[in-house]
Amino acid sequence: MIPCLFQDCLAKGCFLNGHINLSIDGKTVICPPGASVLEAAEENGIKIPTLCHHSGLEPFGACRLCLVEDENTGRLMASCVTPAAPDMAVLTASPRVIKHRRNIVRLMMAEHPESCIVCSKGNRCQLRRIAAQLGIGETGLYPMPNYKAYEQANPFMVRDLSKCVLCGKCIRADHELVVAGAIDYSHRGFESRPATVHELPLELSSCTFCGTCLSMCPTGALAPKNNMFVGTPDREIPTVCGFCGVGCSLSMGVFSDTVVEVNPSRGKNTVNGSTLCVRGHFAHDFLNVSQRLTRPLIRRDGQMSPASWDEALDTAATRFLAVQKESGPSSVAFLGSSKCTNEENYLFQKIARVLLKTNSVDNGGYLSGRSALAPLYKRTNGGDRVRSLAGLEKAEAIVVIGADVTETLPVVSYGLKRAAQKGTPLIVIDPRQTGLSAHASMRLPLKPQTDLELINGLSALLVRKKAQNAIFTDHFTKGFEAFKEALLKLDLEKTGRVTGVTPEALDEAAEYLRGKSVAFVVGGGVLEQRYAALTLDALFNLCLMTGSLGHAGAGLYVLAQENNQAGAWDMGTVPDALPGRQPLNDSLAREKFERAWQASISPDRGLDLIRMIEEAEKGNLKALYVMGENPLRALPQPDRVKRALEKLDFIVVQDILKTETTEIADVVLPGAAFSEKGGSFTNLEGRIQFFNPAVPPPGEAKPDWEILDLLARKMGSPRRFGSLERLRGEIAGLVPMYAGINEGSGAVWVVEASDKELFKNEGGARVSFAPVSSIEEEGQSDSYPLTVILGSVRFHLGSGTRTGYSGRVREFHQNGAVELSPQDWTAFGLQAGDSVKLTSAHGSVVRETAKNSALTQGLVFVPEAVHNNDARNLIGLFPLGQPDSPGWKTCPVRLEKL
Amino acid sequence: MEPKEIDWERLNLIIDKNKGEKWGLIPLLQEVQETFGYVPPESIDLIASALGLFPSQVQGVVTFYSGFALKPKGKYVLRVCQGTACYVKGGRSILRMMKKETGLEVNETSPDYQFTLETVACLGACFLAPTMMVNRAYFGKLSPAKVTSVLAQYKKDEVER
Repeated sequence: MIPCLFQDCLAKGCFLNGHINLSIDGKTVICPPGASVLEAAEENGIKIPTLCHHSGLEPFGACRLCLVEDENTGRLMASCVTPAAPDMAVLTASPRVIKHRRNIVRLMMAEHPESCIVCSKGNRCQLRRIAAQLGIGETGLYPMPNYKAYEQANPFMVRDLSKCVLCGKCIRADHELVVAGAIDYSHRGFESRPATVHELPLELSSCTFCGTCLSMCPTGALAPKNNMFVGTPDREIPTVCGFCGVGCSLSMGVFSDTVVEVNPSRGKNTVNGSTLCVRGHFAHDFLNVSQRLTRPLIRRDGQMSPASWDEALDTAATRFLAVQKESGPSSVAFLGSSKCTNEENYLFQKIARVLLKTNSVDNGGYLSGRSALAPLYKRTNGGDRVRSLAGLEKAEAIVVIGADVTETLPVVSYGLKRAAQKGTPLIVIDPRQTGLSAHASMRLPLKPQTDLELINGLSALLVRKKAQNAIFTDHFTKGFEAFKEALLKLDLEKTGRVTGVTPEALDEAAEYLRGKSVAFVVGGGVLEQRYAALTLDALFNLCLMTGSLGHAGAGLYVLAQENNQAGAWDMGTVPDALPGRQPLNDSLAREKFERAWQASISPDRGLDLIRMIEEAEKGNLKALYVMGENPLRALPQPDRVKRALEKLDFIVVQDILKTETTEIADVVLPGAAFSEKGGSFTNLEGRIQFFNPAVPPPGEAKPDWEILDLLARKMGSPRRFGSLERLRGEIAGLVPMYAGINEGSGAVWVVEASDKELFKNEGGARVSFAPVSSIEEEGQSDSYPLTVILGSVRFHLGSGTRTGYSGRVREFHQNGAVELSPQDWTAFGLQAGDSVKLTSAHGSVVRETAKNSALTQGLVFVPEAVHNNDARNLIGLFPLGQPDSPGWKTCPVRLEKL
Repeated sequence: MEPKEIDWERLNLIIDKNKGEKWGLIPLLQEVQETFGYVPPESIDLIASALGLFPSQVQGVVTFYSGFALKPKGKYVLRVCQGTACYVKGGRSILRMMKKETGLEVNETSPDYQFTLETVACLGACFLAPTMMVNRAYFGKLSPAKVTSVLAQYKKDEVER
């Protein structure tokens, strides 16, 4: 909106923006055109009570509490659905309005059960609040309780519709925000209620248990289940979710130093608005489990025994220094965490590089395909980093490739579904039918790991249709002609053969994309597969060709599985780059850090996560420091990883929970969960979000940055940082992209500094096209005739260490049945409830089975994270993102019925 | 007697006619109701996906209007008016008599799917009070004798003869 030029806009009326003058309660106020009377009042500090209104939802006018009286006509109008008009004069609290409002509330209360004392909504109940404000105690009406079914079969929420006031917030949140469509109004009059299709219980409906409705419900009709606490928390503290890479803003309800409840924060311009997912809402149970680590432990004579902090840190420091002195810097390695904060990761890699002289630093982001992303990052020279998820809803067309977003990053899927609902073409490229397929314009059901061929085919088709963005390619890119020639030489029949996608389908997809700038949403299906890096190159080529870069709602949206995957890389917790993703072999960058840190840094890349395991196997790696990761559960071939790590002379594990990895540690240091410390996470958009502790750490546990700070001192660092501010100060000074980290509150954005013209205002280099590569058709071996696809379920994150500690999640999703196509189901003679053994070249799993009628013959879907993440037995411990690695996403197996 | 098997082919024909048109929901449901005597719950998902709606939304519309039913109704739906005029003119007795004659309570369907008994708030034919409808046929100025004779017309054996 253009700012008003007239100072006396109030008196004269603003012609510039079509501003509207009206009188509310005798006060002349001004509001933008299109605003409702309610919004005009709110903007001017006049409070009108509401039950059904929510700023994130379309106005609805169901509860009638926002009645106002028109001074001119005497009409009573619901202010939320009445547009403000010039010269309007309304009263928000005239005696008539109050009388009607009181009557509405009295009627609601006559129908409401008198269960306030045991109601989990407690003092936050909006009905109770409004009744209190209107001075209604006894209604003076004959009570007519509206008994309705009480539903609590699922482990997450209770639906007590006798408390429902039919405001429709749950229904509208479900339709407008989450786009799940699980519920709608059913029946009418006194019988009216929100209902699922066929009145099925929620767990059998399309409900995803995101809990968005629950947080919005103004009464206790929707309430969390299995909470150890029922009532009103002492205080609510804003924080950032520690699960996936979206980085939702949370509000943690705290009662007596315990997190008892999680809701979406009410902050403005958050990533998630009023939504959350089932993990964010319910899986934070892990914060309060008895398996939390609460005091330092040291292994003495094979047994873990409690120790003081001093003793534990001394042991860790002296043993590490001793190993390093005896066997050299290559004998020690540091595994940092994509779940820990930026500050912690910075300190972590600094300890490794400065005090132990090793570049063998990595983090869990490796598991999500970071190495495949590195070449792309180099290609853009760090441009195209900041990409707001809100932009997706403004996209002209969206392609989702290898991303089962409804399961992995549900909050991203809401945006995609909203875009599709508004008519944005949405193409899903996935071997399996995903939760997004039903919302998509079309799905391209390709054979696993043939995305590269498909994308090149699509590019070739667009070139043949002359649908490239010539202005863009002329201006910002180089090498387009050669790229075009290579594409024209592509054999599209071969593309069809390799990918299994028909030429007609490919053509239809190309038509959807013709002339559009496209947003590509790229997930684990690409990042963790065999041809990850080549596919990303091909996708980026397609972006360049279609001009889908440099503005909101277009380009590559690379999804991050972990909350601080981006930040851990930015902070240099990787073997080949310094903080700020500055390459280790860049002598200028190195010198800068050498000066600042007063230490010499080796230009040679260190061990990555897989090489750490391999070197431990060979006996070359002798000591490992693990912070906030559980490689024994998260890596392929867990048994092999365990054997390798058991060979180490010394292993320190700093974590918040008892895990498979803490079991084999020599020293265990209890860290603090994100809710118990301050710090910052960088989400997949490039948004650096700060948070402060909501509760203190349990027992003797300490914030991880403090542990590292103390450890550094014991390892010989001249001084401690002592505070997050000083730590942030050093980061801001050394890492230009984190110049804003000094801010310390709210959120700031990563600063891009690419030399490419595309990402600068003017001047600069052009981006080049990557060569077109092609893959050959692959046959199935006779000994392993089926192909397993590993994938996530929305109840768990990653390997499921934290989510697996949530009783509610375990109760809901425990059998982890493998899914088979109807053809294979019949061929193997399976019956409901049968178990099967899947065996690959690397290991096997035994699981129950389920028939999935949408699955292509020959594919088997195996959910990860359940059963101690045994699915990882199937895949080999190959490096991810390397040209010769088969990837971690699929593998050939054979099936035996048990 | 069991209600007839759903004729899926016919159902799909009706749905296909309205494919992709959200506004076509009510005419579509009317046609389904007309054809099958009810809206089979199994059809909700099909209708929803054809029109690009959520199944819960379709159900919401079906359950809102009394013209749609999720359970099969009888071949003849008897709607006895309980509007003011009919009520005053003895509509209550007519209903009592209908209950006795058919052996049905209000909103019940006979096991042979011959009759469904319903009440209605007004048929808009108050000058004929007390009134009732059998499917689309009006019957006014009802008396006990007339009720018996009207019902006799629709009793199964009579009809089949």
